[in-house]
Order: sequence, then structure tokens, then C-alpha cells
Amino acid sequence: MEEGRNQSVRLGGVAATTPAAISQPSVARPPSPAGSADGRLECEVLVIGGGSTGVGVARDAAMRGFSTVLVERGDLATGTTGRFHGLLHSGGRYAVKDPQAARECIAENVVLRRIAADCIEDTGGLFVTTPIDDPQYADRFIAGCRDTGVPAEEIPVAEALRREPRLNPRITRAFVVPDATVDAWKTVWTCARSATEHGARILPYHEVIAVTRDGDQVTGIIARGPDGEQVQIRAQVTVSASGAWAGRIAAMADCRVQVLPGKGIMMASSHRLVQSVVNRCEMPADGDILVPIRTVSVIGTTDTPVEDPDHWAITQAEIDQMLEAGENLVPGFTAARMLRVWGGVRPLFQDHAPAETRDVTRAHAVLDHRARDGVGGFLTITGGKFCTFRLMAQDAVDAAAEVLGSTRPCRTADEPLPDSQERRFYQLGSRLAERERTLTDEQLICECELVRRGRLEEEMARRSAPSLDDLRRAVRLGMGPCQGGFCMFRATGILHQVKHLSAAEASRALLAFLEERWKGVYPLLHGDQLRQARLDDWIFQGVLDVEHLPLTAPTRQPESAAGTATGPPT
Amino acid sequence: MSEQPGTATADVIVLGAGMAGLVAATRLAEAGLRVVTVAKGYGSLRLAPATIDILGYGPEPVDSPAQALAGFAAAHPEHPYALISQVMLADSVQWLKEHVGTYAYVGDPSTNMLLPTAIGVPRPSAVVPETMAGGDVRRLGPVLIAGFGVLKDFHAALAAENLQAAAYALEARPVLLDAPVGGQADVGALALARRFEDAAFRGAVAAELRAAVRGEEAIGLPAVLGVDQARSVWTELQQAVGRPVFEIPTAVPTSVPGMRLDRELAGRLRRAGGRLVLGAEATGPELRNGRLAGVRIRSAPRVTTRACRWVVLATGGLASGGIEVDVSGAVSERALGLPVHAPGPGETRFGPSYFGDHPMETAGLRVDGSLRPVGPDGEPVYPNVYAAGAVIGGARPWREKSGDGISLSTGYLAAEAILKEAG
Repeated sequence: MEEGRNQSVRLGGVAATTPAAISQPSVARPPSPAGSADGRLECEVLVIGGGSTGVGVARDAAMRGFSTVLVERGDLATGTTGRFHGLLHSGGRYAVKDPQAARECIAENVVLRRIAADCIEDTGGLFVTTPIDDPQYADRFIAGCRDTGVPAEEIPVAEALRREPRLNPRITRAFVVPDATVDAWKTVWTCARSATEHGARILPYHEVIAVTRDGDQVTGIIARGPDGEQVQIRAQVTVSASGAWAGRIAAMADCRVQVLPGKGIMMASSHRLVQSVVNRCEMPADGDILVPIRTVSVIGTTDTPVEDPDHWAITQAEIDQMLEAGENLVPGFTAARMLRVWGGVRPLFQDHAPAETRDVTRAHAVLDHRARDGVGGFLTITGGKFCTFRLMAQDAVDAAAEVLGSTRPCRTADEPLPDSQERRFYQLGSRLAERERTLTDEQLICECELVRRGRLEEEMARRSAPSLDDLRRAVRLGMGPCQGGFCMFRATGILHQVKHLSAAEASRALLAFLEERWKGVYPLLHGDQLRQARLDDWIFQGVLDVEHLPLTAPTRQPESAAGTATGPPT
Repeated sequence: MSEQPGTATADVIVLGAGMAGLVAATRLAEAGLRVVTVAKGYGSLRLAPATIDILGYGPEPVDSPAQALAGFAAAHPEHPYALISQVMLADSVQWLKEHVGTYAYVGDPSTNMLLPTAIGVPRPSAVVPETMAGGDVRRLGPVLIAGFGVLKDFHAALAAENLQAAAYALEARPVLLDAPVGGQADVGALALARRFEDAAFRGAVAAELRAAVRGEEAIGLPAVLGVDQARSVWTELQQAVGRPVFEIPTAVPTSVPGMRLDRELAGRLRRAGGRLVLGAEATGPELRNGRLAGVRIRSAPRVTTRACRWVVLATGGLASGGIEVDVSGAVSERALGLPVHAPGPGETRFGPSYFGDHPMETAGLRVDGSLRPVGPDGEPVYPNVYAAGAVIGGARPWREKSGDGISLSTGYLAAEAILKEAG
């Protein structure tokens, strides 16, 4: 999504993303989803859910030449995908507990490095035995890695401390693994771009309100679009890639899927405390990982079953637990500025509910509802994790192809994503280098994350929804220490101009951003970050007086998936 | 901790160099006391729009802060305004106006003006720089809001449209100026303000404005009309364009008007013989027989004890670092370790809605009638320590539009209390 060149167009009441230019299509152009002026679409493969899996399915299906449509109720990657720590697993985490997941992780780690290099920072990873860890586990870990094919090499503790000087000096063993970090939003947006370039139609802000059936056959869905309009989409195969929400979608087709939403919380510090991923060498546990992603470090995570993936809360006890976990890995952690806390819900697939969500396999499942429920034309892909999204998509599209009577092969493991053609990994200093090139020629809108005005305007032009929070995810606007205090007023002015919004619409976008940001900020406000938050309040409430903005003009306010959850977002 | 040789004893140590600290220090120095003002850095004035907001929302819109004061104080007995009389408020405003000579302030506590913010909201403020007063929407006719393409902190189109929506009798339209800044794309407010002190630059902008302005329009510009010569820049620009011009404070620090006010007040303090020490920080009280005999002050790696007869604590609230909250939620006053009134452990600190109720917002010291911080028993912790400004709890300055009024009046009152004791 970083350097995309798509543009949004409005088409028969359906917001659709179309490519401005097709980048060297390697197969004959598939039949485009047929649209009509009255909000109807027809396609071969319909994907429900715009997380990594859904977008992966759309890309895979489009690359195999199927006419494909994807619907997502909010912005892309705002459910579970946009709410994790950004770890590209080596598989080490599961080497003992879940060997199948470990094998899938290392295989996909290699594939993603090949096809999505621009989204990945090759940080490397360490597994370290900290004072609270079982010292016996390290030997089981190295044996598990050997059995599952995860490259792991023990290094002296002194060497580990040389690489990561802030690490707890009381660690007793250390192993190097090929962990990396991955920008989930960028991955999803470039996947979506690639899918679009292969003819798929990606429809964010389209919420499924009904799954349509003809006898025992699912025929598609009815979705509600961003302006409240209904869109009917007919499909030969409907693939539900709705993760933790899969049970809900299945129920709309009178099918049954048992997904156990498992909540995990994470916290970001204002800077990178470590330069490589640091894992506790222990069975998967709460607070066992510190991930350096972009400009921040993320500590995670927890695992608590929740009833409803849309309604859950983050408790002070969970925050304290993460702070303590951070302190164990990096002494002094609690003195660092903490920017934000958020949670995501994992889609843990289980036909029989277990007692603890950690005991559920991280592997994924493709469910054909003809066999399970006697309903044809309907598949559910759920379980799994971000790192295996491409493989999940491949399995799902294999199943869809079978329904369609096709044997076209999957090509996603070999064809790089747009922007990753050169197979160069993302580097932390790349934005600074770019900034230095444009120092006097272009305005810097977000000082924390070095967001240029041109890049921001390009992203605004591409999107149909005037959401500053979506832009935050897209270009990291306001993700840094000031959490939008300095850049969001600027962005509001630019949004007003670029999108030809009314002032009331632009003002609503700003107020929506402030509310959304507050959810992730307030649970852990203390120390210098509280000072920063008060300075931000001074700017918005004191100097600008946004509380008394006139909001009389009519407006359309997309409700994002993130906005409906009670828990703080990323 | 021994006294460093050569460090003279001060009558008063003022901690903090924002509005409250500078007002108290200047007043005390002018009365002949030996005053040393110690601050960690420039005060928050340099971030402020430099309007003296006394009371804008209580939470209903306030037309006359002077008249609303008593009722507001009665409804909010823990608010610092419960300690400020209407007379004291008026005296402090008069004092300020007399002390900001080259950059004149207009208005008084009897009436709120409504000045446009950079996003176009008419914002209540009682005493304002003369360069801004022309923006008062209660009197404003048609207006041209002029922005600069190179200034990212001001968006004329957004401001004009919101302004028109908020005050619908008004006609507001935007224009984007193409100021001659040598091809640079990103020029900050302060850099632009310095350019305005150059006559040729001013002339070029005036020519653009003359071409853009229509009929009876007044012209609203971001507050970048000079730093040290604001009055002459503003006057000349109006003459050159032939229309009234007013400034609108920009949103993001540094604030040019805030810098002007800060320089004015700091200059007055120095001229009155007061010392201003920046880059130093109080680390605790030096006690003698239960009385504060001095303040320990750290400057770079060295901590020295400076003796004094009185202290004015004006280190600010949560935003300025005068009040701190640690990771466990414990709240403390940073300079002297005074007891803070704030939500305790386990109590709600912040609510889930941005514009909702946040108990921690009002964290700060509690003080007696002469602004001496008190303990849980209601008695002053030290007989010779006075608090002023945002370090005193009980206010929601940004929501109320009361911050500068609180800082000015409590700074003034703290000085008054010390002057009474000094005889």
C-alpha cells in the first residue's frame, strides 16, 4: 500500500478500486466481475473478509483467472490482521507445542521473504532463557526446531547481549532464529492492489447483511455499502475468510462453525528497545515476546477466550502484566514511554471447545459446508495466523477451484507482490533517506513517522472513505510519540482540500480520529506520555477548540470495524 | 548540601517561567525584592496562543467572565477561581496590560470576544493582543482568510468554511498566498514570522493581498506577522493593503504570539532586576525547623542549595511536568514533593470517551486562601511556599478556556501575598 498507484472510482453505487495501470499481467485477463448500474455484481469467487486471509484468497483466485469480488465491513486489515505485533514467525514459538504450526510457519516465512520483501524487515530473532523461564525448556526447544526444520543456532549469552545490550543480563541461554517483522497493513494493501491488478474487485466498507441461498446452494450475499445502499453479489463459490467472525457469517447461511475468539493484548513503546525480535525460550505464555516493528517496540501478548469478537475490554491487570513481562525481557522497560495498548482476537478454530485457548492449534482449516452442513457453494477458511495467510489462501482457493471444476494452479508462492519485485527488505532508515532527498521540496506532515505531504495526498486520493484513522494505518500518520498531536490538524486541512469535503465532514473525520486514538491511549497514560497527551489536548481543545466545531452540514460517516469494538485499536 | 560560595541569598525563588511564574517574579522584583526565577526550560507561554482566556465555558458559553466568576466559583469550590476575587482578576489584567508595552493587549474581563481559531471555531477570550482583536466574530463583517501554501499549520479553506458555518451571519472566503520564500516548500510559523520583519517580503505579501481582497473584507492571517516588531509589521501591512488585518493563532508549537509575550515578560523581569535561570531544576526543599529555608537546584550534574525567604511554585500541571504520574499511577509534585490531590490507586484516572470526564485532568495542589499548598489536614505544608498557575488543581483549563486567566491571577495573587508579608 505504501507506494501504490491505484485510484478509487465510484461505479454504479459500488465503491471499487481499479488499477490505473496493469503491471505485466502474466496470464490472460480473467473475466471481470460483471457489475450493473443497480448495485448488482456477479462473480465466480466471492470473498467475505478483508483481513490478510481474505485478501490473500482474492489475490490467489484472481491470479488463477477467476472473476473475484471481496467485501469487508470496514477498512482492509482492521480486524485481527491489523491488531497483532507484526512478528513474522520463524516457527520457533511452536516448535515444541504445535509442530504442524511450526512447519507451516517456517515454510511460509521463506515464501513471504521471497514475495513480500518490501513489507518485511529482516530483524532476525532470539529465543532467550530468562530468569523466570524453565531452564529445561531450551533443550526441548532446540530438539523441536530440529524436528520441524526451524533453523535455530545457540549463541553465547555474551554474544546475545552484545547484539541486544538492553536485554536482561541474567539470561542463561540464547538461540538465533530467522524471525522477522512484517507490516501487516502494507502486506494486505499490496496484496489487494495485486488482486485488483489481476481483475478482482475489492470493496471495503461493505458489510454482509445476508447470505443468499437457492435451496441447498449458497448463491452469494447482500451487503450494505458505505452510503447505506444495498449491494447484491451473486457468486458460484462464496469463501468466508472472516476469521474470528466466521461463526457469525456461517450462521447467516444456516451453517455451523465453532471459532473460539482468543483475545491478545499488545503495547507499543515510543522507540525501539531491541533491534531483533526477542522471545522467551519457554512454552507459549503471556508476555513472551518483544517485537521491534518500524519505529516502535511491541510487547505481547495475552490469550483470553472472549464470547464476542466485537465486544471485550482491556483490563488494568493485563496492562500491568505486559509491563512486568517487558521488565523481565528488558530491565527498565516500565520507564520507557508507552504509546498505546490494543488487542486483537485470534480466530482459533475448534469443533469442541477446549478449556484454554492456548491449547488450540494455530493451524488452519478449510471447511466445505456441503460435507458439513449439506450446503453447497460455501467454504469457510479459518484458524491459522498472519504468517500463514498465503498458504491458507492457497488451500481455500484449491477447494474453491474444485467446486468450480478447475485445476488452475496456485502461483502466489512465486510471484512477488507489487513493490517487492526487487526482493529488497524494508529498512528502518528508508523514510529518512527519502526525506533527505525531498528536504526543501516537500512538506513533512508527520514528524514522528516522516510522512511526506505528497505520499499522504496520494493515499487520500486513492481512498473513498474520508477516515484519518484509515490513513494512520495506511501511511503510519500519527503513529509516533505524539500520537497525531502535531499532524492530525494538518491532515484534516489537507483531507478537506484533496477530497473536496465539506468542512463539517473534515471536522467529523478529525473528531472521529481523536475518539478512536483516545481508546488506545487512555488505559496506560502515565509519565512523559501523559505529558504528551496533555499537550495534544492543549492543541486540540485549548488552541483549536475542536469541541465546538460546527458540524451542521450533512455528512457520511463510515463506521469502521475498529470503531465498533469496545477494545482499544492498534 | 552546602551553599556554594558566591550564591547570594534570594528573597524569593520562583520555580517555573510560564505565565504564572513570570508575572509573580516580575511583580516581586519591581517591588524591590531579590528574585531568582529557576526553570527547566522556556515556559509554556511559547506554546500558547497568547490570548488571556479567563473563562469561556462553564460549561455553558460565558459572555462576561467578570460577571460569571462568582457563580462559577460557587459551583466549583475546588477551582482556583474560588480564591480569586473580581477585583483581583481585574487588577491582574490591568497589570499585564501595563507590562506588555510594545505588544498591546485589548479587552477586559467584563466581555468575552470570540476569536477564530486556526480551524475556524470562534473561541471565547477576554483579553487579547491588538493584532488579533479584529477577528472578533461578534463585530466581523465579510472576511478573507489568507493562508500560505508553505505553512502546513494553517488551512485557510477549512478555517473559512468552519468560521462561516459557526457564525453564519458572516461571509468568509479563503485565499492561498504564494509568499516569496525562495522555493522552500515547508516553512514554519516562526521562520515565516521572521520573514515578515523584512520590508520587501512584507511588500510582496501586501501586493498579493491587495489583489485578492474584495470590497469591505477584513483579512485574517495566521499569527506570523513578525516576532519582535509585531506591532509595526501589523500596522504597516494594514496600511499597505488598506484593509483591517487580524492574526489567527496557529495550532502547533512554537506559537509566534506566545513567543512575543514570553519575551516581553521575561524582558520586564530582567529590567526589574530579577534573575532568570533556565536549564535548572528544583529537586527538593531545604528545611530548617519545619520551615522551607531554601531549594535544592540541579543545574547540569551539580546540585546546589539556594537559600530564600519565600518560594513561588509555578511549575505547571501535567502538561508542563510540574505534576507527574508514574507507571503505578502514583501522582507527585515534582519540585518540592508537596501533596497532590488526585485520583488514588485503583480509582478511575481517565474515562473512555475523549470529551468525557477524566478525573486526572484536575490533579494538582490544593491551596489555602493565600495560595499556600495545604496537606490533607487543610493546613499549609510550609508557611512560606505559595503556588500559582496550573500546578494548582481543580481546573480544566483547556475545556473551560481559563488557563491564562488562572495563571495570571494566581501569579499576581501569590506576589501580593508575599509582598504583604514582606511589608
